Amino acid sequence: MPFVEKILPYRSLSIVGMEKNTGKTVCLNYLLRRLHERGVAVAVTSIGIDGEQVDSVYATAKPEITLYEGTHFITSEQHYRQRRLVSRIVDVDRQHTALGSLVTAEVLCRGKVILSGAATTEKLRRQIDELEARGIPLTLVDGALSRLSLASPTITDAMVLATGAAVSVNLQQLVSKTRFVCSLVRLPAVEPALRDKLSRLTSGVWCIDDDGVCHDTGFASALLVGSHVADLFRQGRRLFLSGVLSDRLLRQIATLPHVEEITLIARDFTKLFITPETYADYHRRGGQLAVLQQSQLTAVCFNPTSPQGFRLDSQRACATLSEALGLPVYDVKMI
Amino acid sequence: MYLRDRIKQDAAFQYVVQSLELMSPVGQRRLMSQAFCRDADALQHEWDNLERVLPLLRDTAHAQTLVDLRHQLMCLHDIQGTLAQLREHQTLTEVDLYELKHLAYLTHVMRRDISQMGLETVVDLPKLGDVFALLDPDNTGIDNFYIYDSYDPALAPMRKELRRLQSDDNTGDDAERQQALCDLLDRHDAIQQQVIARLSAQLTTHAATLQEALETAGYCDLLLAKAQQAADWQLCRPQLGDHVALRGLVHPQLFQQHQSQGLRYQPVDIALRSGVCLITGANMAGKTVLLKALGCAQLMAQYGLFVAAETATLPLVDDVVSCIGDDQDALQGLSSFAAEILRISTNLQRSRSERLLLLIDEPARTTNPVEGCAIVRSLATLLNGQAGFALVTTHYSGLGVDCQRLRVRGFDETLSQQPINAQSINQFIDYSLVEDHSDTAPHEALRIAELLGCDTELIQKAKASL
Repeated sequence: MPFVEKILPYRSLSIVGMEKNTGKTVCLNYLLRRLHERGVAVAVTSIGIDGEQVDSVYATAKPEITLYEGTHFITSEQHYRQRRLVSRIVDVDRQHTALGSLVTAEVLCRGKVILSGAATTEKLRRQIDELEARGIPLTLVDGALSRLSLASPTITDAMVLATGAAVSVNLQQLVSKTRFVCSLVRLPAVEPALRDKLSRLTSGVWCIDDDGVCHDTGFASALLVGSHVADLFRQGRRLFLSGVLSDRLLRQIATLPHVEEITLIARDFTKLFITPETYADYHRRGGQLAVLQQSQLTAVCFNPTSPQGFRLDSQRACATLSEALGLPVYDVKMI
Repeated sequence: MYLRDRIKQDAAFQYVVQSLELMSPVGQRRLMSQAFCRDADALQHEWDNLERVLPLLRDTAHAQTLVDLRHQLMCLHDIQGTLAQLREHQTLTEVDLYELKHLAYLTHVMRRDISQMGLETVVDLPKLGDVFALLDPDNTGIDNFYIYDSYDPALAPMRKELRRLQSDDNTGDDAERQQALCDLLDRHDAIQQQVIARLSAQLTTHAATLQEALETAGYCDLLLAKAQQAADWQLCRPQLGDHVALRGLVHPQLFQQHQSQGLRYQPVDIALRSGVCLITGANMAGKTVLLKALGCAQLMAQYGLFVAAETATLPLVDDVVSCIGDDQDALQGLSSFAAEILRISTNLQRSRSERLLLLIDEPARTTNPVEGCAIVRSLATLLNGQAGFALVTTHYSGLGVDCQRLRVRGFDETLSQQPINAQSINQFIDYSLVEDHSDTAPHEALRIAELLGCDTELIQKAKASL
């Protein structure tokens, strides 16, 4: 029974897929089944829409999410109506999403459901708190790693990353891409005092001096910095980007003198729109990246089959990935 | 005029409304759809209700009940859409049924809290026991909802079979099992739909009571918010009369701002007879703030709130109209004078048939003083015969109108020990009003310009040319 024990101490866990068809849903189903067998009360929700019966991009059959008796789930009113199980409504949140109110329900008779959920990080955080208040110790979040979504899965305490042949059918490339994402997930978090200060800044680019004071650099977004990169570091060597860090900006910063003293701080790893090459260059010169929110990467799931039908040698791939990542890697089809 | 439109026109009143701490969207809706009330009995009734609630807010014996009640209100959903469907005999959804049960549940709990505080006559929530019983066939007493087994004898065996088919011990043919499961779920859902349709039909007769419960709960929210504001801001219950008499009148927003910054705010006493009252006073003497504060007090009273004064007697008027500030409307291509005079003209015409509280700040100040003076004189003369109340500020002297006049006492060097400059000058102004029997406006413009540190050459030349 791999990695179920490892997630029990956490209050919330997100399952994040690097690409579509990386086996996120299989992994979620596995966890739900195992937790049910152990008699652990769990809740499950999603960021945005997930759990369509057919994958909307590749039109491949997609495993549905199966929920067991006693499991709580949150989904939109529209998807609640389409559920294939018997459940009891315990709460309705009328702050409407695109698909209507969000319904919290408890499963009475197991079956399948389409999950959709909060569109913002704040809402997701509140939901996890409310579920905990209902006596549910663990919430699983189906965390689509969509960069279009405002909600970030990194607010969960722990994370499982789903990778697979959908990322690349070349094992070497797959390993290197997965290793890169893992290194971003594992970026260090800033100290709590600074985190609290920075998380209140919802826009702009801020320079933090040695005393921890934040100075507005005057740029509304890191995308508008243009050629004035050196101006960003007038007051200090640490820079907080409330929005995204682009590859172009990181390339420019990497060429600055004293780059070895620089730390760039993003909200979380999903806000880093950077390529492995640029990051490697920046890192080699001594530049640092940090985040406000970091969740504990507990395991990696692996789907050997790509949506086009290619299949990787599961045992070899898992072993190679595990060695490269320093984490247990599980084939979703075999767990 | 509905409150939601009024607050777009009056910033001071908007501040008052936005400061109300409402717990529910229903309370918010009730507030925004309040009409400007011209019915003395209705206002007295509303103020009576506020007076009933006020002492409870201070009573520690009710503190926990109030916390609970506010929590229930926070859980209240504005389910007008569901109720409309119910009235129109449409079939609801399971989520709608949950909402109705939730409302019935909250109503039950709030009725208990309200009766504990002895407010049953003020907030008369209807009993929804029948609705709750219908949606709680197993007597669970909680607001969770699903199509309970007891709604239809077919449900329990079907659900048992559903569990059996899906159980881990079931090792039959997978495809066959899936098909059986699918068929069973379809039949199960069909029965659930029948139950929902039946419940929807049964609940239709309760639509009006449910609506009443929702509206009353919203009113409860509004009443608590109004009472809390009255307590926090020390507002007073107005008396209705045929004249204006306010003691300790303040502009709520400025007063709160001054208090939070630890600055002095001088409340003002004012008494007005019907007809017109001309107000004179030096620049910076708070004439405009006075107009806004008076307008705000009248609006607060006639939207059923207490007012920001120590004591207040107010008449009932048909409307409160202000002509304050630069009305220049570039979009209409009108100059500041044109926009102002048109607005004044419209409201003068209205004042012939309606009892208005008309607040006009320095009319005709943007044109030449000879004609300007003539306009103000005529305006004051015409307004003086009306049944309403008009308050007109002006700098013009020698108007020769036989009407009530008030003057702001104004600048007084002895009020503070601080050096006088642009930052401190407000500390040297006595904002109180005195009856003024002369026909001359104060001439303090140059003195104030001098104290503000304006260009000395300008001031000397101006003085010489007087």
